[in-house]
Amino acid sequence: MKTVDIVERIEGEARLNCTWENGFVKDTQIDFLNFRGFEYILEGKPALDALVYTPRICGICGQAHLKATVEALENIYKSLNEELVITNKAKILREIGLNIEIIDSHIKWFYMFILPDVIKLKENDLKEYSPLKGKRWLEACKTASETIKALAIIGGQWPHTSYMIPGGVVSDPTLLDLTSMMNYLDLAINFFEDSIAGVSFDKYLSFNSVDDLNILNEDLKYFTNLSFEYSLQKYGTSYDRHLALSDSSISKRGKIRQRLTDKLDLNKIKENCDRTFKVEEDSKNKEKHTWSKAVTYNSMFYETGPFSRAMVSHREFIYELHKSYKDSVFTRVMARVDEIAHLLHSTKELIKQVDISEESYIKPKISLKDIPKANAKSVVEACRGSLYHNVSIEKGIITKYDVITPTVWNLGPAIKDEKGVAQKAIIGSPSLDIAKIVLRSFDVCSVCTTH
Amino acid sequence: MKSHKPTIVWYQAVTCNGNTHSLLSASSSRLELFLNSFDLIYHPSLTIDTTLDDILKLKDIDFLLVEGAITSDEKYYSINQNSTKNILEKLSQKAKYIISVGSCASYGGVHKKFEQNDDILGVEEIIDTKKYKNLKHEIVNLTGCPVHPEWILQTVFSLNSFSRMSLDDEKRPRELYSNLAHHGCTRNEYFEWKVEGDFGQKEGCLFYDQGCRGPMTHSSCNKILWNDVSSKTRAGMPCIGCTEKDFPRENMLETKKNIGIPLDVPLGIPKRAYLSITGVAKTFKIDRLNKKLMD
Ligand code: SF4
Ligand code: SF4
Repeated sequence: MKTVDIVERIEGEARLNCTWENGFVKDTQIDFLNFRGFEYILEGKPALDALVYTPRICGICGQAHLKATVEALENIYKSLNEELVITNKAKILREIGLNIEIIDSHIKWFYMFILPDVIKLKENDLKEYSPLKGKRWLEACKTASETIKALAIIGGQWPHTSYMIPGGVVSDPTLLDLTSMMNYLDLAINFFEDSIAGVSFDKYLSFNSVDDLNILNEDLKYFTNLSFEYSLQKYGTSYDRHLALSDSSISKRGKIRQRLTDKLDLNKIKENCDRTFKVEEDSKNKEKHTWSKAVTYNSMFYETGPFSRAMVSHREFIYELHKSYKDSVFTRVMARVDEIAHLLHSTKELIKQVDISEESYIKPKISLKDIPKANAKSVVEACRGSLYHNVSIEKGIITKYDVITPTVWNLGPAIKDEKGVAQKAIIGSPSLDIAKIVLRSFDVCSVCTTH
Repeated sequence: MKSHKPTIVWYQAVTCNGNTHSLLSASSSRLELFLNSFDLIYHPSLTIDTTLDDILKLKDIDFLLVEGAITSDEKYYSINQNSTKNILEKLSQKAKYIISVGSCASYGGVHKKFEQNDDILGVEEIIDTKKYKNLKHEIVNLTGCPVHPEWILQTVFSLNSFSRMSLDDEKRPRELYSNLAHHGCTRNEYFEWKVEGDFGQKEGCLFYDQGCRGPMTHSSCNKILWNDVSSKTRAGMPCIGCTEKDFPRENMLETKKNIGIPLDVPLGIPKRAYLSITGVAKTFKIDRLNKKLMD
């Protein structure tokens, strides 16, 4: 039996095709049918304009794209031995902005994109978790919106600010600004304590064993109970290989195949288009079914995202959950929610470290327009995992811009007989509902996947 | 307010979802009132029990809010196995009010720059309002990349109460777009006395070097603050003119100049007048404005 299902309530739309055998998913294919051509748009544009364009690849993770662009442009200076001086203050303000956006995204994802589906396995009436109306849904939305104000203080607005520029950041916050930012984060910490985990923040941050699941209350307890009732700790396993291309304030770069290593070589990243539609051809080719490319590291598929970051950085609680429940839906969801707490903690610390007497911005001595030809890459840990930008410029004009988003790592198609990460995870699901939850556990963003 | 609530359908076409996230970042008490006063029956990333198919079977929709540019090209874009243009036309038949949410829905925006698809348009270019019997009002364009959430809320509330809005030539509500982004910017005094700014500073105006379009851009960004706390220009980022039809322009983060003088002068000001005033203002060296605000 074959089924095709349109998946909404993700960032964009996807199509999930499943073949069934004895009531289980035997094979699957994920189609992303929408393409906006950002890499084409960027070609021929002045290099600095990329700071305006790339955040608009995605309405929810634009700051990650901004940071990737600004660092790629700064790496151009580095490649010419003209490395720019970026003050510690500017570096921290960038990290803070990125972190806040990830917190916003994770909160929305848990309450808007995955929890409703998990509850639906059991109850038809979502009650306080009902979209747009339920009390908890509204509280979560409010928390996300209050949190993002902290970013608006340094960015001017969210979504879509371009407050990071080569040389630093545009804003120069006061001590009161920093204090307000901490206040907004405290609101989110309160929500985490009262509604998400139901335990004190410090207690949660000290979690380090599977038994700590028993201490949880509120929504994580609810989620945990539902997960075990519907075996979400068994479904959704994939290669269990993990990749984090960049450091972040809460995690380290590295990869785990069988062993952990921090040796990474960006040249080993390869995109594959065997199953990907092409702009240049009107393909009737049956092999091609999606706008998403596939991507591998050293010819192998890797998962990326909060779960992989936690694994690579050996974050106790998630590491222990993984020992018992592998790379299942349950572990993956817990890792994303767990990251909210660690990010809130670390971001508050970062705010305290800002030295307002430092410069925010030091003007580059050389204009990109005066550089005959150059190329550089950058990597950033975004909400959904590792983001890679690769830009080539000539006299200040972009000649090529390549973006590999986290969702391409997770949701891209198969290469030959080797299944993509999410594809492999979905196989074996006992129902369409579970198959969709497995897919969602990767935090699907179709706009990023195809960009 | 338990009686019949006006229905809203949020339709997403070629977009980054930025306007959705802008809406979700609205002042939360206002957003709650909005969700309570209207029945948002369909939003592809928020509602759960209705599909687009269900909506297509409805007879009427009170408010159709469109996010994203529109294309008929199914190679690049299809929703529900149909083109975004076909679906828009079907939904528009049912709507009493159509609101383009954001610059992409209004005139194509960033997505129009993808030239390999030469069929990317704004809603207004596609929907001939005369043919749509249900429509009670001209299409309203809420430009901005993204649009400010409060502008959405005020527009929908206002149309619901008064059934009319005064629109400018670009079909934007006058009350939201008669101001310039420049109005209310905390750097206004520096603009007046021609004190040039730089990135990373609280002081100085971004008009002279950083490309600020505040004085040429219709918007109320410095009147109705973003996320209730700030605006681009207040924080130190030049306005990039995202509410105007020529967005995105080239070289958005620098000022185009001719012999050291900005090529574009504030909207409606004769160049000669601008230059004379500048000349005069520059002869005064105002100590306070050339010092740091706080030491
Ligand atoms: S920064 Fe822009 S908006 Fe602010 S005063 Fe200067 S020109 Fe006007
Ligand atoms: S200040 Fe200018 S660029 Fe920023 S949102 Fe307003 S109109 Fe758009």
